[in-house]
Amino acid sequence: MSAALLSLLIPLLTALILLLVRVRAGSLVILANATSLGCAALALHQVVINGAQQLNLGGWETPLGIRFELGPLTALLLVFTALIHLLVAIYAQRSRHSQTRDTDFWPLSCLLHASLGALWLSRDLFNWYVTLELLGLVAVAMVILSGPRSHVPALRYLLLSLAASLCYLLGVALLYGQYGVLDIRALAGVTSNDQVTRLALLLLTLGLMIKAALWPLHQWLPAAHAAAPTAVSALLSALVVKGPLFILWMLWDNVAPEELARQAGIFFAVAGIAALVSGGLAALRTPWIKVLVAYSTVAQLGYALLALGLLLYWQDATMSIALWLFVIAHGLAKVSMFLAAGEIQATLGSRHVSALKGASQTMPIAMFAFAVAGGSLIGLPPSGGFVAKWVLLQPLFLEPARWPWALGVLLGTLASAGYVFRVVAIAFDRADPNPPDYDPDVSAQWLAMLPALIVWAMALISEPLIEWFQEVGL
Amino acid sequence: MITAWTTLLPPAIILSSLLPGLVIFSLREDQVKLRIGLNLFAVILKLCLVGVMLWGVNQGLEFRFAIGFLPGGGLVLQGDATSLQFVTLSSVLWLATTVYAIGYLEDSPLRSRFFGYFSLCVSATVGLALAGNLVTFLLFYELLTLATFPLVVHRGTKKALHAGRVYLAYTLGGGALLMMGIALLHSITGSPEFQAGGYLGPLLDAHKPSLILAFALMISGLGVKAALIPLHGWLPLAMVAPAPVSALLHAVAVVKAGAFGIVRVVYDVYGVEQVQTLGLATPLLALAAATILYGSFKALQQQELKKRLAYSTISQVSYITLGVALMGPIAAVGALAHLVHQGLMKVTLFYCAGNFAETLGIHRINEMNGVGKRMPLTMAAFTLSALGMIGVPPTAGFVSKWYLGLGALEVGQDWVLLVLVLSGLLNAAYFLPLIYRGWFAEPPTQWPEEHALGNGRPGLGETHWMLLAPVLFTTLLALLAGVLAGSELSPLAWSQLIINRQFGL
Repeated sequence: MSAALLSLLIPLLTALILLLVRVRAGSLVILANATSLGCAALALHQVVINGAQQLNLGGWETPLGIRFELGPLTALLLVFTALIHLLVAIYAQRSRHSQTRDTDFWPLSCLLHASLGALWLSRDLFNWYVTLELLGLVAVAMVILSGPRSHVPALRYLLLSLAASLCYLLGVALLYGQYGVLDIRALAGVTSNDQVTRLALLLLTLGLMIKAALWPLHQWLPAAHAAAPTAVSALLSALVVKGPLFILWMLWDNVAPEELARQAGIFFAVAGIAALVSGGLAALRTPWIKVLVAYSTVAQLGYALLALGLLLYWQDATMSIALWLFVIAHGLAKVSMFLAAGEIQATLGSRHVSALKGASQTMPIAMFAFAVAGGSLIGLPPSGGFVAKWVLLQPLFLEPARWPWALGVLLGTLASAGYVFRVVAIAFDRADPNPPDYDPDVSAQWLAMLPALIVWAMALISEPLIEWFQEVGL
Repeated sequence: MITAWTTLLPPAIILSSLLPGLVIFSLREDQVKLRIGLNLFAVILKLCLVGVMLWGVNQGLEFRFAIGFLPGGGLVLQGDATSLQFVTLSSVLWLATTVYAIGYLEDSPLRSRFFGYFSLCVSATVGLALAGNLVTFLLFYELLTLATFPLVVHRGTKKALHAGRVYLAYTLGGGALLMMGIALLHSITGSPEFQAGGYLGPLLDAHKPSLILAFALMISGLGVKAALIPLHGWLPLAMVAPAPVSALLHAVAVVKAGAFGIVRVVYDVYGVEQVQTLGLATPLLALAAATILYGSFKALQQQELKKRLAYSTISQVSYITLGVALMGPIAAVGALAHLVHQGLMKVTLFYCAGNFAETLGIHRINEMNGVGKRMPLTMAAFTLSALGMIGVPPTAGFVSKWYLGLGALEVGQDWVLLVLVLSGLLNAAYFLPLIYRGWFAEPPTQWPEEHALGNGRPGLGETHWMLLAPVLFTTLLALLAGVLAGSELSPLAWSQLIINRQFGL
């Protein structure tokens, strides 16, 4: 447990140091991220050996005190968060196109890291509210880093995020009024399917869905994620939207009464398929590179939503595994895709998809990274995206009555193949290549490639990972 | 821990082209000698490894490599008789095509990229052949799509990109269907290793609808690459690719991957009896027969040489599906032998078409008048392969058609003979005029676009030697496969061996 806490505290302390001393040293942050990754890995190792661990902050038992829990999923997410932060930080420090050198990106990214860590560890509705607020504010501040152009989307993001927080807080208040506890485990046993609980869950869900940009409440995401600096876009898409999703999953899987959960499950699953299709179509149409990648996030969150919905509808725990495999695979692939897209658009000097003509020649490594990451989003074997989709598909085929859901997965696959190869095909257009404005930076392109390679390497550990999750639960 | 060499051989065969391919990507355009050296080194290394495996399988050794991937189905590579037939075919034709491509692309841009993807493509094909279960097969099937796309769009023109997009739409769609089918089977029984006679027998009663749906999904997924109608639309368009790519796509890599997949699904996953019990043989047979006739009819209408060959491929590859769908041992031998025979003959035809185009600028059929006087060796190879396609004895094509016909009679599907005869007539109708034009028509005073390759005189110098040598090599192989069909080393004898195990004869 102490290793997990260290993995949270190191970035927090680094952020404070950077803010107090007023230096913007990227290398310090990279060091902090690497240490945090080490601690998270140690925590994961401990969980593998000893199982889940609890910590009552200040020694107070629940319901008085606040409880941290380090389970298999939390440990994995801590590693995931630290790894993504490390990869992005190295890129942000190294690339001359990152738009984040010597800016407030460094302390902000550390704060983001710490608040996410706290979110994964918390098991308390109000504590989650605090981490959500932190997450939202830090994220908005990071979007603004790219200058005046981003102010409108950032403001929109801020307002929606605040509205969502209010919804969430109201929901928490209602539940507290009804049951007098906030700890998720304490709530799990006592909730009944009455009006207040339903209203509370509706409000909580509404707030969390806005924050996680789940269809149909995703409209703010493409503009905000596309306007942010490249490194920030990567963090936002890979991590920030996953925080609220975690709470949503915890809430519905543990707290919600079963009958209500089944009803909501249908809604989530249908919304997931709608997200896959509409996000995919929007990504197919948009003329901007980064907006395309951002819409792909909307679409990919549809897989997670579908898995959540079917988890509730069938009360089938393997769907949770599918959900979190999707989250991790998507996070890594999306980091790669955003970094590659940002590097390409900065080097070629245009935000247009059509400017990618000939990019397979001028920036081969970045384009390759884009394609490799895209392969995982499509779900081509043996990438992480494929493994997640496979786990999702298995229960879908158990009974003929479930088969129609597989059609949704098929549609999602085809839509993502469509938008990924839309970009790749243009890059192979050599008839009228777009010459780069700058000398392409090879090492930055390789840094964009790295997360994509990691997501394909997930194949190597997928079997033990899935079996471990099946054995001990999340 | 020391792993036995028999375990490491299958991955080594894949890596022998994969790793050099990755190195080739990083080479500069002007490192010509290093690139050619690497290419040839990889080819020869792979051939040696395949030779060792052939020897080993003959000695009764087992080659099997497995690592974990998904619960219920790891990544398994294994060398059994069926996979070796395909591996040997692809390795040998890769040798010929590499030499051909080096000559063909001399002094053209982006050769590092081309040869890089070329090597990846062969690695994927070989991996697909060695795949020991459906999950592994799926993996290499998708990798093949990814590796061939850059080759199809290699020229980077508008037309090439259009063809590339269509190709991707078809193959990725097919890949998604195949994945669905395999996932469906996996949910029932996991993905055990391929075994002669199939592994679904015990599940037949309990899961009938699932098994039928899975079969339909997998066959439509594989049918895209095998160019079964109505999923063949990408193939004629993909003709825009450079000639060595077309040769590779049509003879070995892509269409054969589909056909080989159908062989695997029918024989080693479902098993002949189960396919018949489920009533799936007849629709497959009808689809194959329809594709054979449709491809031949369309080929007859084409005025461009490569397009005609493309439609001919659609028709010829379906002979393999036809033989499989007939469900009898004799037809099955014909199908597997045709996998090799068609590969050798079709690759030759595409080399020849490429030679005509590169040397004299001949693209259309009416430009072929008298080309035999200018390029007698290429034209002779073209003639022999075309006669093989028609099925004139004693060519390889005759052997496979003979077995298919006998097989059809054996299982009482006499109407299939009619299909074979009709298709043979159509083949003659679209190949004989070419042969006539080439040998007997008057050559034009000037060729459309003559290039100075070779010494410009008929004979060994009629074109660049690297373009001519592969043609002669594959023609020779095709001839030997036909003439020596009765010997123990022929593709036919090997197919007989596979089928004997399959049907327990």
